Amino acid sequence: MTALTQYAALGRRAVINTIRRPTAVVPSLLFPLLFLALSSAAFDRTTTIPGFPPVESFLQFVVATTVIQGALFGAVAAGADMATDIEDGFFERLLASPAPRGSILVGRVTGAAALGFFQGILYFAITILFGLTVEGGVVAVLLVAVTAATVAAGIGSIAVAFALRTGSAEAVQGAFPMLFAGLFVSSAFFPRDLMSGWFKTVATFNPMSHMIEGLRHQVIAGLSASRFLVALAVAGGIFLVGFTMAGRALAGRLAERA
Amino acid sequence: MTQSEGRPIVAEALVRRFGSIEAVRGIDLEVRSGEIFGFLGPNGAGKSTTVRMLTTLLKPTAGRARVAGYDVVADADAVRRSIGVALQDAAIDPLMTGRELLRLQAVLHGIPKEEGRHRGERLLETVGLTAAADRRVGTYSGGMRRRLDLALSLIHEPQVLFLDEPTTGLDPTSRAALWNEVRTLNREGGTTVFLTTQYMEEADRLAGRIAIIDDGRIVAEGTPAELKARVGEPALRVALPADADALAAEAALLQFGEPIPDAPGHVAVRLAGGASRVAAVARALEEAGVEVAGLELRTPNLDDVFLQATGHRLEGAENPSLEDAEAK
Repeated sequence: MTALTQYAALGRRAVINTIRRPTAVVPSLLFPLLFLALSSAAFDRTTTIPGFPPVESFLQFVVATTVIQGALFGAVAAGADMATDIEDGFFERLLASPAPRGSILVGRVTGAAALGFFQGILYFAITILFGLTVEGGVVAVLLVAVTAATVAAGIGSIAVAFALRTGSAEAVQGAFPMLFAGLFVSSAFFPRDLMSGWFKTVATFNPMSHMIEGLRHQVIAGLSASRFLVALAVAGGIFLVGFTMAGRALAGRLAERA
Repeated sequence: MTQSEGRPIVAEALVRRFGSIEAVRGIDLEVRSGEIFGFLGPNGAGKSTTVRMLTTLLKPTAGRARVAGYDVVADADAVRRSIGVALQDAAIDPLMTGRELLRLQAVLHGIPKEEGRHRGERLLETVGLTAAADRRVGTYSGGMRRRLDLALSLIHEPQVLFLDEPTTGLDPTSRAALWNEVRTLNREGGTTVFLTTQYMEEADRLAGRIAIIDDGRIVAEGTPAELKARVGEPALRVALPADADALAAEAALLQFGEPIPDAPGHVAVRLAGGASRVAAVARALEEAGVEVAGLELRTPNLDDVFLQATGHRLEGAENPSLEDAEAK
């Protein structure tokens, strides 16, 4: 019980770290929304191209991508915050306490997941105000938000691993634009059936495509357990890889003290 | 009772190497229960490295240490449960409020919620931060942060408190206020305090016993009075005008006691016979034709102890205006 309370307290601190820092929260929250607004306006007519899945609007097609994009942004902040803790010495304060070493990691990742979840809900709330219809209803919104939380925990873990290895917030922030490149070479913004050549091959092998398509299905076509499980499996895989990396990085940093 | 026979901190031949650099070179220490122990030395002497080993943040390369009765390597968790730590380089999250940080610290120490809240409020009152408790720490002054740091290190009522240069960077008034809090804590709570400092006056006024560290080794240890008594007679310092003959001054002073190395433009001597010999010194200088800009008689302080033990002065030891600040 004590360990759980410690994880929760450190998770709460991680959330506070992000939401009280406008330079972290504003880009993380606004950039995906801005991209959503621009792409919805610019590409709305593409939904009439033969082969495009049946959707009400490009907004409906792309909203799941926006949720994941927001989760990725927020997760990178988790790594930057961990690096700041190391640079400033707050990490030392945590190590000097009797709390389990793992709580430092779990707390930070829990915070990233919580932010990813609530940010996802917020994006849906805003887009519904602008006319979005979610075919899968409230359950679909929750499924997408849960997946976003899992992705945020996974990418947050990778960012935290990077922070623990480098100890530099700048290095963390500098390394993660690659992540967004990964999102672009997927079916996040366009259906795979309308792609061709090497881009289609890359997008097909990109697990992000399968995750986004699984989530998108809940929004544009209605609930599908099998499609959701594919999306959750990809997110879970990212989490497992990321958390393992972060655990090793923490062990490595602690070993430096030996 | 887990403390080793009234000695909550015991270090034996403690060594820490970073690659080829030996930062701590075989330190032996014994701190008695309920005392304020001063660990005095210049920057880079090995103070913080020693504290980091004693607080389990760094493993010793060789030697061993027990804190609150537990081995710092084998029983690190038990040590961490028993100690409070306010590290010089451990930041306080500027985005959180003082009250939030105290609650977080209570949770990290496994203190039940209501008990943690109660202790936090009491500590906020003790360190005079109740009014600022809901402000973000980023808005606090340096003195307020250090007081909050002290409160954070006390939330679990530790047996032993480590304060690593707690007043570095503080103005004299804040420094004096923190000293009072540490004294009160030690006197009323009986907490054993291990205090590192580069300020000789801080060690002199706060600590019951002092160890002086230089270049990774303890070069002197004892009560402030014992250490100063070892130096012996007071020092007489003569300030010379720019064109004065320093060699003639040194020669004139030689008959009055052992010369002491000093800054350019000054000559100094350990004055055998004490203050009663000052007039004779003045006459001797006049007879030698040495012009004098000033004379200063100084009873031994910890800087003199440091000088005697190491052959050089304690850099950054000057700490002016503290008497005024303490009087406020």
